[in-house]
Amino acid sequence: MTALLETRGVWQRFGGLVANSDVSISVGRGEIVGLIGPNGAGKSTLFNLIAGVLPPTQGSIIFDGEDVTRLPAAERCQRGVGRTFQVVKSFETMTVIDNVIVGALIRNTKMRIARQKAYEVLEFCGLAARADKLAADLVPSEKRRLEVARALATEPKLLLLDEVLTGLMPVEAQTGVELVRKVRATGVTVLMVEHVMEIVMPLVDRAIVLNLGKVLVEGKPAEVVRNPEVISAYLGDRHAVGA
Amino acid sequence: MDTQFAQRRRRDLIMAACLAVVAALVPLFVKDVYVQNIMVLTLMYAALSQSWNILSGYCGQISLGHALYFGLGAYTTALLFTKFGVLPWFGMVAGGAISAVIAMALGYPCFRLRGHYFVIATIVIAEIALLLIQNWDWAGAALGIDIPVRGDSWLKFQFTRSKLPYFYFALALACIAWLVTWWLEDSKWGYWWRAVKDNPDAAESLGVVVFNSKMGAAAVSAFLVAVGGSFYAQFVSYIDPESVMGFQFSLLMALPAVLGGIGTLWGPVLGAVILIPLTELTRSFVGGSGRGVDLIVYGALIVAISLALPKGLVSVFSMLTGCKEAAR
Repeated sequence: MTALLETRGVWQRFGGLVANSDVSISVGRGEIVGLIGPNGAGKSTLFNLIAGVLPPTQGSIIFDGEDVTRLPAAERCQRGVGRTFQVVKSFETMTVIDNVIVGALIRNTKMRIARQKAYEVLEFCGLAARADKLAADLVPSEKRRLEVARALATEPKLLLLDEVLTGLMPVEAQTGVELVRKVRATGVTVLMVEHVMEIVMPLVDRAIVLNLGKVLVEGKPAEVVRNPEVISAYLGDRHAVGA
Repeated sequence: MDTQFAQRRRRDLIMAACLAVVAALVPLFVKDVYVQNIMVLTLMYAALSQSWNILSGYCGQISLGHALYFGLGAYTTALLFTKFGVLPWFGMVAGGAISAVIAMALGYPCFRLRGHYFVIATIVIAEIALLLIQNWDWAGAALGIDIPVRGDSWLKFQFTRSKLPYFYFALALACIAWLVTWWLEDSKWGYWWRAVKDNPDAAESLGVVVFNSKMGAAAVSAFLVAVGGSFYAQFVSYIDPESVMGFQFSLLMALPAVLGGIGTLWGPVLGAVILIPLTELTRSFVGGSGRGVDLIVYGALIVAISLALPKGLVSVFSMLTGCKEAAR
């Protein structure tokens, strides 16, 4: 079976800075793939390229068998790419349910059905009790879940999660992990950027490590964490010697 | 919760219907022409502000150049009538359509601007249009257009003896603007607009085409404002560039919505009902030779309300009912 998402030789330069250089990755259908790497490795840039925030300087992005390299974000959402933002971007003056309705409207033109769909998604994400609250009144962990709910309401084939587990308390993070598993169980492919290794490693099927804008290693989580190159990227060369 | 939402929508609609009926009955008891005049203006500004609110309140694209569309409506109607004998009713629709098209043509470059830059662009464009009209001889240039009076008739939408027909038309206009807003609020567009206002990047990621959303809001908003302008031309029967396209109209459309509650269904109505009579009354009682006292009162009120209730006067009602939903 062909991959759901593929990046082919993707480069992104910001002036003199090379954020991504020759990145080729692929994500298979139904997988949970973790995109990890130290700060400044180019994870967020790659993420934005896949979501369509900006087109890559060079290279192409194939989604579901089609070249989407030049398509804007809204169009990619239409084709089944859902995303969350690292810095949450809730619609603060709208209620929680209305936030999710915005996402649901892309697949449902009838308001009543979109509202119902949004409510189901909120239940799935454990936010149903907060439906009528203003998004601005949610606590940070709930806002993260709202990001996920909103993206899920667009019925994505691929869900891009940008550090949804970072900065949460252990219990909250565990709830987040359960949610990601539940999402995958509904047939959605997940690509997640994450910092917290001990949470993300048991969750993902495969990890891709970026460093200095390049793919450093990819493979099973257990192999990746033992890889000397990864250890040196994270901790410096001295620590890699013993590995 | 679904029913709760439907209930609120229905309650709004019933309340609006009741208010419209009450407003329609007022002229039976109030015969004073001066007061009737104020009522006409209040309803007109309620309609204008409601229309302005669609683009600037719901969609968040603050325009201080809506006088342009007001003037376009007034001029289209007046010119079609005086030059070609076209009835004002058609002039109204034509003015609305022209304004909607121009709003989109202007939006094409301007909607790439964000925040203050967009506001400045709207002011500048309206001022340019004002200068153009002032120097356009065929359209009466700075002298303006006198709409010839040919006797009372609904067909020509002219009434010399009574203000009542204008009153009822203005009431209808306010109702239409309110209903359009009410309907749009629970439509795909309504949700898209609010999403665009709150966070365009997130909206885009959820499949909202931000640019098109803004264009849609601009077209609807400009159309309705132009119809108001057409009405105003008939109401005063004499227009000149400054009196229908001056910057003060842009402000007078924005202020009721801002004071009442920007981006809310009831804000513009509430704001207009308080502000317009106040403006007119202070002008006639303390204005005149005092020169500007009325504006001082006006300004003080705006400062006071924006400091005490930054979300507008409607937030008082939502505080009373303890329901945040109503403040939307």
